[in-house]
Amino acid sequence: MDQVLWFGWFRVDIIDEYAQLFWSGLGMTILVTVICIVQGTGLGLLLGMARLADARHAPARQLCKYLLRWPATLYVSFFRGTPLFVQLLLMHFAVMPLFVNPADGLLISGDAARHIKQNYGAFLSGVAALTLNAGAYISEVFRAGIQSIDRGQFEAARSLGLSFARTMYHVVLPQAFRRMLPPLGNNAIALLKDSSLISAIGLAELAYAARTVAGAYSRYWEPYLTISVVYWMLTLGLAYVIRRLEARYGRGDSR
Amino acid sequence: MPLTKKLICAAGLLALSAGIQAQNKELVVGSSATYRPFAYETPTKEIVGYDIDIIRAVAQKAGLQIKIVNTPWTGIFAALNNGDVDLVISGVTINDKRKQSYDFTAPYFEARQLIAVNKDSAVKNLKDLSGKKVAVVTGSTADDIASREFGKTNPDIRRFESTPVIISELANGGVDAAIGDNGVIAFRTQEHKQLKTVSDASFPKEYFGIVVKQGNKALLDKLNKGLATAKTDGTYAQIYKKWFQTEAPALPAQ
Repeated sequence: MDQVLWFGWFRVDIIDEYAQLFWSGLGMTILVTVICIVQGTGLGLLLGMARLADARHAPARQLCKYLLRWPATLYVSFFRGTPLFVQLLLMHFAVMPLFVNPADGLLISGDAARHIKQNYGAFLSGVAALTLNAGAYISEVFRAGIQSIDRGQFEAARSLGLSFARTMYHVVLPQAFRRMLPPLGNNAIALLKDSSLISAIGLAELAYAARTVAGAYSRYWEPYLTISVVYWMLTLGLAYVIRRLEARYGRGDSR
Repeated sequence: MPLTKKLICAAGLLALSAGIQAQNKELVVGSSATYRPFAYETPTKEIVGYDIDIIRAVAQKAGLQIKIVNTPWTGIFAALNNGDVDLVISGVTINDKRKQSYDFTAPYFEARQLIAVNKDSAVKNLKDLSGKKVAVVTGSTADDIASREFGKTNPDIRRFESTPVIISELANGGVDAAIGDNGVIAFRTQEHKQLKTVSDASFPKEYFGIVVKQGNKALLDKLNKGLATAKTDGTYAQIYKKWFQTEAPALPAQ
């Protein structure tokens, strides 16, 4: 293919040549991000609740402490305390082969395992690692959000006869959610960018496309600048969605 | 002191210091040390291997001071381009595309591509891999071959950062085959007893060369001279035998 130069130095033809990889990579990046945001938020909510679990009397009091609060704290500590990149490699090259392995997988083995690994291996490992990691960060957002609501609100609701669950659902969480939106948005943007790390285990997302082109041509400006712009557009879009959500849910306060 | 005199003085000093630097300058050698047996790190962070022994011998014969820096493969040409390293010895295959951007010394290793598959696989050659998942190292010769054979945007080509990783991926059942340079693939495959190697006779013979920035003829000549000396005085054959347990093949002069 002939060289096509933009501004005299940007070889757009090499991007064009691999366009299909960039487009499918863009789709994969968006897919991974959306799945991980949804799952991570769910996991974060559960973990956040677990970290706040408490009861007044034995044995529930001890159960909450040892079976919920401690494991949740340990979990958050591990996933926030180790690099996501390391978690990703650990997941793909150590944890996943232990459970899904054609030879002797603990969960799935044989041809089914081969099929899963070959077609969805990097995707599953990547989504799992990213979700587990995001869950740890998001649980802190939930915990802080819930704790930031004045205890009097909770006590008032309980003394009016609302159950714990109804108190949470109708009184505490709606207020907490409003405060949690900005940090949740931050987490979503971080997650979108962190998804680029999954390229290291061979998932064909945006960064993978750029690395392929850089590897083939030993040119670095074109591929990496291209995906930088794409990531930037994506984060701008995400930031816009979050702003809209904040405006929508912030209405109650500014009446 | 008048200004002009000052300037001349400063320029003289600058030239002098530059001259001294040029004389004793330690050349930085980039090598990606995840490429056993060519270059790898020992537990004590020392970089060793066939490539390292070769470049040390070449430098010694050519009277050059060198310092070896572990440089990740993905960024190794960028490091050469922007001057972070002066030369690269990292199992780099000499090919026409690379020759457009860099200068190579005479060959120091004969390389072929080698396919690694599971022992029970019926794969005989590259064509048999059509429709199968193939792992390669990003930007490597194998990437080039697979891209040409199966299409560069084919999702069945899985690209990774290093040869150990593509072998792990194969051993874990993530792909059907891995393609890479013979030295490393053979070495890594023997670590996994469920794997075997397949040699496709149609893969062309290739050669590894030491890489310098395009136009750096002074350095290139010194390296070539050093390499030629090492080849004639038996140092080269000795190093080859140490790492590959066989006699060194005859290499073309250019």
